Amino acid sequence: MTPSRLLVEGQTPPALGRELTVIGQSIDRRDALEKVTGRAAYSSDMHLPGMLHAKLLRCPHAHARIRRIDVSRAQALPGVHVVLTADNTEGWHTQWYMIPQPAFPREIAYAGQEVAAVAADTPDLARRALDLIEVDYEVLPTVFDPREALEPDSPRVPALNVEVPREHNVQQPVYHVKRGDVAAGLVEAEVVTESRFRLPTQYHVDIQTRCTIADWDGQRLTVYESSQGVWNVKRELARSLGLPEDAVRVVVKYMGGGFGSKAGAQRVVHYAAKMAMLAGRPVKLELTRPEEFLSHPRRYAAEITMRLGARRDGTLTVLDCDIILDIGSGSMYASKYTLILHQLWELYRCPNVSVRIRAVYTNTPPTGPQRGVMDPIASLSMEAALDDLAVRLGLDPKAVRLVNYVDHAQGPPALAYSSKALDQCIERVTEAIGWSRRDTLAAQTGPKRRGIGMACYMIERAGYAPFSAKTDVVIRRDGSVELRAGVVEIGGGQVTILPMIVAEELGIRPERIHIHYGDTDGTHYAPSSHASRITIEVGPATLQAASLARQALFAVVAAHMEVAADDLVARNERIEVRGDAVRGLSFAAACALLPEPEITTTGSRAPNPSDVVFRAFGAHATEVEVDTETGEVRILRFVTSHDIGRAINPKLVESQQFGAVVMGLGYGLYEEPEMDGKTGVLLNTDVHQYRTPTALEAPPIETMNVEGEDPYFPYSAKPIGEAPLIGVMPAVRNAVFHAIGVGLDELPMTAARILDALGRKRAETRDAR
Amino acid sequence: MSRLRVPATSKRVRLLVNGHAHTLEVPARRTLAEVLREDLGLTGTKVGCNRAECGSCTVLVDGRAVFACTVLAVEAGDRPVLTVEGLEGPDGLSPLQAAFIEHDAVQCGICIPGMLMSVQGLLERTLAPTEDDIREAVAGNLCRCGTYPNTIRATLAAAQRLRAQRENPR
Repeated sequence: MTPSRLLVEGQTPPALGRELTVIGQSIDRRDALEKVTGRAAYSSDMHLPGMLHAKLLRCPHAHARIRRIDVSRAQALPGVHVVLTADNTEGWHTQWYMIPQPAFPREIAYAGQEVAAVAADTPDLARRALDLIEVDYEVLPTVFDPREALEPDSPRVPALNVEVPREHNVQQPVYHVKRGDVAAGLVEAEVVTESRFRLPTQYHVDIQTRCTIADWDGQRLTVYESSQGVWNVKRELARSLGLPEDAVRVVVKYMGGGFGSKAGAQRVVHYAAKMAMLAGRPVKLELTRPEEFLSHPRRYAAEITMRLGARRDGTLTVLDCDIILDIGSGSMYASKYTLILHQLWELYRCPNVSVRIRAVYTNTPPTGPQRGVMDPIASLSMEAALDDLAVRLGLDPKAVRLVNYVDHAQGPPALAYSSKALDQCIERVTEAIGWSRRDTLAAQTGPKRRGIGMACYMIERAGYAPFSAKTDVVIRRDGSVELRAGVVEIGGGQVTILPMIVAEELGIRPERIHIHYGDTDGTHYAPSSHASRITIEVGPATLQAASLARQALFAVVAAHMEVAADDLVARNERIEVRGDAVRGLSFAAACALLPEPEITTTGSRAPNPSDVVFRAFGAHATEVEVDTETGEVRILRFVTSHDIGRAINPKLVESQQFGAVVMGLGYGLYEEPEMDGKTGVLLNTDVHQYRTPTALEAPPIETMNVEGEDPYFPYSAKPIGEAPLIGVMPAVRNAVFHAIGVGLDELPMTAARILDALGRKRAETRDAR
Repeated sequence: MSRLRVPATSKRVRLLVNGHAHTLEVPARRTLAEVLREDLGLTGTKVGCNRAECGSCTVLVDGRAVFACTVLAVEAGDRPVLTVEGLEGPDGLSPLQAAFIEHDAVQCGICIPGMLMSVQGLLERTLAPTEDDIREAVAGNLCRCGTYPNTIRATLAAAQRLRAQRENPR
């Protein structure tokens, strides 16, 4: 229970010396009240006096050079205040994850790229002004298929980012990581399988489209955003606009969906800010639904070739994986592609491993992180290939996972995990789904076939450099307590669980704590709410700040009561002498003793140590029914178990699991981008044809998490937000494989693909006869 | 990108929103969602797609759930309109709102006003909905956070509570 190695700067907070009373309670999320009453004002709901409205002109060609832009007619339209193009923004760069991108490049990399921005009195006027802008394009040759882009004579895709090293269309370095000797592993193998997989891009489909309001008062820029990180946006805007950081304030009280798409400052934020500074009036820039599809960084697409070699008992001898990543016209830095590796590199014991990742530019919109980032690529490859291997060997897929189970990170160098309870997760989900029924299901006849499948997942999420996360706790003489945290509530419950930590440390009710959040004014730097990082990065800082505040209060109370501070304990809104509950005073009375009007303490997250590896693990199992006549897949049951350490708020953890599973089912079964192969333009730029799951598709989902100790995290709480999505697609794929006897190699597993696969199987059976 | 010029024809309309009457001069092409949000300041009603696909603009007109982004304000004249702002009663949150909080049917929250209104429309038809009834009722409301399992739990709980209130009025 005591976080004896909590990741904080300075002294480890002392143990509470009592049972937990707040942590582990499923209290209601504190921002739900505003959200169910309609009072929560998102950036799109806000209006500032004198506000202008901005619209963007987008290039219809997937690759073009701008020869000339004429904005004179647009500029002459009464009510038009600012027009931005390449002509008047030469040298200006927007920032995305601190990666500079020319604000309006002259060479266009994808259809839908921004060519001009207009701010006018009304949205209609801004739209009309766009119609008056004349652009003369030189249309250039395009490449949309990453395999074609690998050819030396394919057109060269201009990168959206300021150039990073590349060789033709391949970003450098190419990651090729190896352990052991693949050739030796192949010799040692008694059976070798080769599987190929294709994962398409996925769109975030935040229900709130991107919307920014920027307000410049001549000295200071205030931005009301729908972003996952106020501090990221502040820093990126300051750098882009050449302002001191103090001159930029970013506010996000509510945001309507992010899922990774709003983690850095979006290009729209920069455009709105620039126009507000030029116009001297607030500017609102809100994207339409089609614009969301056409322009914002979506999930990476991938093509994978995966070879597994094993002995007859399923013991892996070799893993050889080659991945082509379609990164569109730009992405994050290449170093992030190693995020793909963990599941391939670590999840199962394998002495000989080779993984090559080539990130290839195409004339399509840029790519970026989405829930799970690149882990789904590794997870599908590993978990589906493992079932292919099991079937080939005539072994139980669960048994193959267990025979290759490994309790430490194999390296090199080999290192311990901070905690790992995946074996228990596997047991729970397989027992719950009735894994032993698999054999009976194999005897099915008739058009509807049931199948049971499973998949494991792991995720590296335990904070990233620079690891800076600081929070303040303020205790006032009137008994009020405030937590100041520069985080955004993305819907994960961040602003509910952080005050729970403070409440636990101070022995008071969480609802007594005011949290100041979503604002760069009055807070320290905190990471953006992405990469499942708030509990594990801001959590330790918050625990430390609250613990320091308790100790400061104890010092005052100890002097007053003439006892040793170490003998005091905070619980039930009281501060008492340990073992003598009669001797004590209420929390409020203790605060009244403070010599100053208030005390403020600061907690600070320390960097991760290098002698231990932090991962979150979990397992899914599902039972599906496949209609072999229509190709339709129904999820009958979905069970999931996460190696959570300890849930600070089990209700909110379960909600994250529901959401991640539903989004994973969308990726696995329904969400299919349709690109016009000739023009590179996405055809289904609406939520009717790009089908995210509705309540009709959400199956019964059961959670059965495993709790345990992890001394590095607050009360052992491990990350949750993204991880449960990762293994959903392979779990369903393996269940479908079990149901119909043929493994699908491409997502989404639509009815058409299921029928195709069944057709191939029938043809093979015929040929075999 | 040429666009149709729509004549700026206006009409005087009496809107009955959440029990309050508002008489407004409304351009005929303005949607109910625009008038609610921009003229009446009722921004609880969201607009996520503006073409009747995402459901975040759902309100009740004559007790039936409609997409306010594709209903013209002039069509809604003299008919009772209920938005999320009208759900609270004199005693505070409605049982449905309370159940959404208790069963954590809210994450980022942007779809929630529409989701609540679709469920409210269902509960005005029946207080004994099945799980399938609930799924059908909110099938037009996209929630990318994936709260659906909790939407169903919350609705069943609210229906039970409302049935109990009906049987044992205070």
